[in-house]
Amino acid sequence: MGRLFACIISPDLKRDKASLTTVAKEFSYLIETLDDGILFDVSGLDRLIGDRDAISTKILEGLRRHNLAGKIAVAETIDSACLLARQNTVSNTVHSQETFSQLPLSDLPIERDTLNVFNDLGVRKVSDLLSIPHDDLITRYGKDFRNIIDVIEQKSSAILVPNIKENRVHWSYDLDQPVQDFEQLIFLLNHGFEKLFAATRDVGLSSEHLDITFTLKGHQPKNYEIKTSFPTLERSFWLKLVNLRISLDPPEAEIIAVKVTAHFTKPRPSQRGLYAVSRPEPESLLLTVNKLKKLVGEENVGMPVILNRRLAEPFALDSDLLPVGSENIQLEPRLPTLAFTYYRPPQHAEVVYRDGRLVFIRTRYFDGYVCEYSGVWKGSSSWWDKPWKTQEWDVEIENRGIYRLCRANREWFLLGEYD
Amino acid sequence: MQYTLDVSTQPDSSVMAILSLVKPASQLQEEQKHVDQISLDLTGLAFDRGSLVDISGGSASGKTAIAFSLLAKLTVDGEICALVDSTNGFDPRSAVASGVVLENLLWVRCSGDVEKAFMAADHLVQAKGFGAIWLNLGGLPLNKLRMVPKTYWYRYRTRIKETPTLLFVTAEEPVTGSASQQTYTFSSPGRAKWSGSGKFKLLRSLGIEMTSRKQFYGRPLQTTIEADYTNG
Repeated sequence: MGRLFACIISPDLKRDKASLTTVAKEFSYLIETLDDGILFDVSGLDRLIGDRDAISTKILEGLRRHNLAGKIAVAETIDSACLLARQNTVSNTVHSQETFSQLPLSDLPIERDTLNVFNDLGVRKVSDLLSIPHDDLITRYGKDFRNIIDVIEQKSSAILVPNIKENRVHWSYDLDQPVQDFEQLIFLLNHGFEKLFAATRDVGLSSEHLDITFTLKGHQPKNYEIKTSFPTLERSFWLKLVNLRISLDPPEAEIIAVKVTAHFTKPRPSQRGLYAVSRPEPESLLLTVNKLKKLVGEENVGMPVILNRRLAEPFALDSDLLPVGSENIQLEPRLPTLAFTYYRPPQHAEVVYRDGRLVFIRTRYFDGYVCEYSGVWKGSSSWWDKPWKTQEWDVEIENRGIYRLCRANREWFLLGEYD
Repeated sequence: MQYTLDVSTQPDSSVMAILSLVKPASQLQEEQKHVDQISLDLTGLAFDRGSLVDISGGSASGKTAIAFSLLAKLTVDGEICALVDSTNGFDPRSAVASGVVLENLLWVRCSGDVEKAFMAADHLVQAKGFGAIWLNLGGLPLNKLRMVPKTYWYRYRTRIKETPTLLFVTAEEPVTGSASQQTYTFSSPGRAKWSGSGKFKLLRSLGIEMTSRKQFYGRPLQTTIEADYTNG
C-alpha cells in the first residue's frame, strides 16, 4: 500500500487545536493544521493497525478519549481525505473510501458556471463525472480541469506541509533511590540541562521558561514554574536560579523522579548599542534579586510603584517587577528637592500647645521648641471600605530638624523627617 | 644602500598630524578620571565611579535629597540603581518629585536588620553593573553601626574598584572610615524658609552645608534644597 493520509475536521478548531494535535501526534510526526481541521500522514500504519477503516476507528478512539468531536477520513491522497472528512454529516463519524464516489460535485473546486452545466446534464456526483471521457472534459473546460480529474481519480499530487512545530522539549529521570535534599540533585539537573539546552540550540531557539516537576514519595507531585524576563541557555545561570527558587519553597517529601520541560522562544540578540549605559547583565540581575529575596523575604525586594489610589501612603513595592533600564527624557539640571523619610514605626511624641499653637515637642530621643509649622493637613478616604483619616503638620524644631507630626486617637506621633 | 634618518630636518605636516593624535599618559589618565565622574550640577559635588562615598548628617541635613539627586541623574540616563533601605523609610513620592525614575530602581527593604542590610549591599556590589548602590543606614542605632567591622568597607571598596558602580552610604555619623574615597558631613546652618503667614504656611527651602572630611582646608560647599508641591 502506498501513501495514506488522515484528516480530522473539527467543529471548533480554535478550542480543540491543542487536543487535536495531541491526538494526531499519537499517529504521526507529519502534521499540517488546516483552516477547519488537521491533516496528518498515516502511511505505514496499515502494517501496525490494519486497513483504512481500522486506522480511522483507532483515530476515533483517540478523539473520544480526549472528549473531542470531529469527522475523520483516511484516504490515499490529501484531497480525497479532506473532501471525505468535510462531508456535511454528523460529528464523530468515519468516512470510508467507498463513499468518495458518492460525493456531490459541489464539494469539488469547480467553477459555478461549469457546475450549473453539469447539473443541467444530470452529472451531480463524482461517479457521474468519472464516467465521462476525461479527454473530452479537458478539451471542453481547458487544461486546468485536469486537476479536478486528478482529484476524482485520487491521483492528486498535493503534498502535506508540516506546520506544527515543537514548542518545548522534555527531560526526565527516575532516581534509583529517593533523595531528600534537592541540592544532591544539582549534578543530575546539570546533566539534564545540558541535554535540554543542546536540543533547544539545535533548532536555533532559546528558552526563558522551565517547568520542573518532582515526583514525591507518598505525596502529590511538586511543580515549579521558573521564568526569566530574557531568553538564555546558560546552564550555570539556570542551575543557580532553580536552586534559589526551590530553596524558597522546598519539596515536602523525598524526591523519586525529576522531569524538566524547556519552553522554546526566540534567542536574544547579543549586539548592544555602542553608547549604551552600563547595566547589570540580565542573568546577574535576576540571580541577585533572587539571592536578596532569599535573604530579606520575597515581599521586600522589587520595584517601587506609585499607586493610582487615594491612600495615606499611596505607594508599594512590587516584588514581581524588576528594573528595566529604560531611558527617559533628560531633565534640566535643578536644585535638590526636599525629601521625606518615614519612621518605622512612627515615634510617639508629647506635644505642648498653647492658644491653639504648637509650642513644644518631646520624644524618646529629643525635645525642643517649635520654630515654625504648617498645617493642619487633613486627609481621608475609603469610607465605604477601609476608612482612613489623617491630621498632619510639618514642624521645624529648634536646632533639631523638620518633621511630620500627626495625631491619631488623641495621641501624637512623628511620622518621619524631612532630609 | 643605506638609509639614514635626518633628525635635523623638520617633519612634514602629515607626520605632525599623526603625532598630535598621540596623547601623553598623564593626559589620558586625567581624561579617564573625568569620564568616570558623576557630577551633581548646581551642588558642586562630583563622585568617582567605582568608589565608596560616605555622607553623614542629622535630620534636615539634606543627605537624602542629595542621594535622590544622584539616583535621578543616573536613572534618567537608563542606568539601573539599587537602594538598600535598612529601616523601610524610603518614600517613593519624594523620589519621584526629585526626578528618580522608579522603573530603574531596585528597592531592598531590610526592616531594621543591620546584618541583612550589609549582606544585601554585598550581593548588589557583586552583581556589578549598577549605576549606584545607595546603602541608607539612617535611622539605625548608632551603637549597632559602630560594631560593624571596618573590614566590611574595605571589602566593598575592593569589590567595586573596577566597576562603574558608585557605593553611596548615608548615616547619621561617618561610618566608613578611611575606606571611602570621599566623606562629607552635611549640616543645616540656618533655619528653613517658610512662605505664607498664620495657619497658611508652607515649607519652601532649606540651606545646607557640605563639609569634606578628606580635605581639611577646603571651604564647605553650600546649596539650597527646595520643597516641591507640584504632585500634591
